[in-house]
Amino acid sequence: MRNKYTYLSFLALILSSLFTLVQDREVTQSFTLETTQTEFEAGSPMALKFSTSRETRPLLYCSSSYGSTLIVPTYKSKSLIYDVPFNISSKIGLVNWKLTYENSSVSGKFHIHPKKEVSSMETYIGPPSIEAGGTDYTMLVVIPTDSLDNPFPENTLVLAKHQFLNSEKSEEIFTEDLISYKTIYSEKESGRLLVSSEALGINSKEFSVAVFPAIPIDFKISATRPHDYADGNQVTTFSTSILVDQHNNIVSDATYVTFFITNEKGNILKTSGATINGIATSKMIHPDYETEWSVKAYVDGIAESELIILRYKQVIKDFEVVFSENNRVITVGPLQSFMKQIIPDGLQVKLLIYKNETLFKTETKTSFEGFVNFNLKPDIYKNDSYTIVVKTAGLEKIFNSKIL
Amino acid sequence: MINLNKNIIRSILIPSYVLIIVIVISGISSLFAYLNTGADRSSMLHTKLEKIEQYIPEVIWSPLNNEGRPMDEEVLKKIENDYLDAWYVKLVAYKTNTTFGIKDYYTDNARKNIFDFVELNTKEKVTVESTTLNHHPTLEFFSEDGQLAVITDKEVLEYKRVFKDEKLVLETTEKSTYKIIVLLEDGFWRIRHFVKERSERFKIEPDLIAAEHLNIKGINYYPQATPWDMFGDAFLINTISNDFKIIKDSGLNSIRVFVQYDDFGKADVDKEKLEKLRLTLDAAEENGLKVVVTLFDFYGDYSVLNWTLNRRHARTIVSGLKDHKAIVAWDIKNEPNLDFDSRGKVNVISWLDTMIDLVKSIDPNHPVTIGWSNVQSASILKDKVDIVSFHYYEDIKTLDLAIENLKKEVGEKPIVLQEFGMSSYAGIWKPFGSSEEDQANYHKKAQEIIAAYNLQFMSWTLYDFETVPKAVIGSLPWRKNVQKRFGFIDINGTKKAAFKFISQ
Repeated sequence: MRNKYTYLSFLALILSSLFTLVQDREVTQSFTLETTQTEFEAGSPMALKFSTSRETRPLLYCSSSYGSTLIVPTYKSKSLIYDVPFNISSKIGLVNWKLTYENSSVSGKFHIHPKKEVSSMETYIGPPSIEAGGTDYTMLVVIPTDSLDNPFPENTLVLAKHQFLNSEKSEEIFTEDLISYKTIYSEKESGRLLVSSEALGINSKEFSVAVFPAIPIDFKISATRPHDYADGNQVTTFSTSILVDQHNNIVSDATYVTFFITNEKGNILKTSGATINGIATSKMIHPDYETEWSVKAYVDGIAESELIILRYKQVIKDFEVVFSENNRVITVGPLQSFMKQIIPDGLQVKLLIYKNETLFKTETKTSFEGFVNFNLKPDIYKNDSYTIVVKTAGLEKIFNSKIL
Repeated sequence: MINLNKNIIRSILIPSYVLIIVIVISGISSLFAYLNTGADRSSMLHTKLEKIEQYIPEVIWSPLNNEGRPMDEEVLKKIENDYLDAWYVKLVAYKTNTTFGIKDYYTDNARKNIFDFVELNTKEKVTVESTTLNHHPTLEFFSEDGQLAVITDKEVLEYKRVFKDEKLVLETTEKSTYKIIVLLEDGFWRIRHFVKERSERFKIEPDLIAAEHLNIKGINYYPQATPWDMFGDAFLINTISNDFKIIKDSGLNSIRVFVQYDDFGKADVDKEKLEKLRLTLDAAEENGLKVVVTLFDFYGDYSVLNWTLNRRHARTIVSGLKDHKAIVAWDIKNEPNLDFDSRGKVNVISWLDTMIDLVKSIDPNHPVTIGWSNVQSASILKDKVDIVSFHYYEDIKTLDLAIENLKKEVGEKPIVLQEFGMSSYAGIWKPFGSSEEDQANYHKKAQEIIAAYNLQFMSWTLYDFETVPKAVIGSLPWRKNVQKRFGFIDINGTKKAAFKFISQ
């Protein structure tokens, strides 16, 4: 059934050829074309035969789709035979010829049609990846060609077949302008689309097109943390809900999510992660002083999460400061955490030294085994009266008029 | 004394030392400069390609109405460029039977067809010189991924000359329709399939324009100060305008001017020169003179592959000036028969033939002629030109016979005696030359013959010149000096005796 159209078109071609003028007659008394066939199949032997009473052997000019040449005849019993070379006879299209002799000429044309069997399905498909959702599409272009690399004529039937999830479709398309094409739209789901085609019983290879999820819609985020103390040591982990597109397809892995953390002072911390199976996670170390974080995540320019609030409790209630060796050695500590345990190493302690109410020097150290020692060297700190401020974990202690 | 000597030695030593240093440094620097030349890094990739116009047939796209992806102008331009390049490399391949450049513009499968043809034609010793003059492409289809396009190129005007054993066998002009599939590969739009769908021989029946009524009584014109360089830097419109007044007052009604192919910028016509030509035409119009514009002066290549460049040149000039009221006729080329020996008669005539078709297609209202240098050639292409023009520098006594013979050959077609004249040079290089009186007698006689045969005419020339460029007549003094004295007005601006006979 599906071949019916092809056969019909071939029949029509053959019929129409019967009415085609064989040659444009100009001055034909010397050389008369005897070949009546004007429709040939590519690759078949072709020859133009002229009857003549003359002795001259004019060359035949012959021009096909790709080029032109001159053919030398062979002479056999009062006729000249011009064998069309294979480069011309193997390619489809119109061939025009002209025999010129002594200022007069005979000319004519013949058509070459492709062989009746398809040998390969020249297939182009693109784009190779499309978006799920039914609006994006890919395009299949098929050029059925015969064994001599000739495309088929108009209205050759081609079946465009594709499979996606549970559906398998086959549609009839027809060649036009040497090609046939079909646009294939995505469906709501993401996945892999397999495409092939068939013409005159010959099938193409399998081609695949990736149907990627569309862009994510807005999502939620959550945070998990070992405790809610601002110890500057533990890590809070943020994670998104499963990012999906509007048709509930999980977005492609490595979709980049950025978490913006705004603290009470209005400072912004940023951390980011890429999705795996739709979930992106990212981490941030706890603050070392009591504060509140507002966290919101974004897929830049595409989607955002709702806001979550995290409260961090003060971890050090109070601390001791001991001055020794003429106030030149300052010992801060023990720094104790929420269960009175020694705070883990690394808590920042800042020492601000004022002289005559102007800031003279700032020294920063981190705690080690609960203590921080500052040693004020006499080279820098001449003997004088200083105001000393100790800051840590959001707390502050002021010591006025310390004489060094 | 010793001091003086020392100073002399010093004054020599110091500059020579400086000189040596200069030479050494410049030597080293030029060595460095030399070592720095060679492949430019930016040329490693195909990022910057110098576009040299070498093949520019007329391309007219049908309005875009293609299936598939919508096309944008830039991609279309790129497709057009690569498509024309594909034609060009193919034409070169068949002309030379080599395959240079084919790989860039044809896909693996398609290039095989060209290679096969080159192989066959090499074996058969067939070469094809050809070009295409017009393309009318329609974009049929553009794939969604922008990698494949289908074009129908309608009515491609192909001119071909087919040789066997370097002997011309056939010359043909065909109008063909092709269907082409192009693929984007490695940044090139390459031909994948190429199918000829229709083809017929092409012949334009010339649409002749009546020219009997024109009554051209004219003169070939170059300004006195700038002969053969009329539109150069020394272009002075006032001088030209004054000269035109002199010409008009002498009873003449037209002039002939020359557009030099190289001077006017070849395919890419120099706008400034074209503007100067337009100013000249304006001045002629103000003075009531008509102008015969002679194209392609000092052009002598005619090779088929350059036709598209010549046509672009002619197209720009003719379409730019065709509506100017001062134009009376187009002279396709000055004395093309002088190139018959060096360039081949067939080449020259077929070039002229297609050029006439082109000029007539752009400007259907003005007659076309060719300024043959002698009466023997004047009947070539007589059915294509509207006016038969010839130049006559031979013995005035045989002019009437020449005209009679020509009239027999061309029938009713109007004839213009487009250049004639006599030099009044008699001097060291030609002791028995003609005097100004001889020149006057010559023009008197010429005007009598012209009147007798009711010819139209354009004499050579208004002025004597002080210099004649080498390109015109060569550098031999006995030729140059004769050439300088053809004018009706001498070097000092005095009218010579012949001026009386400048017109009837």
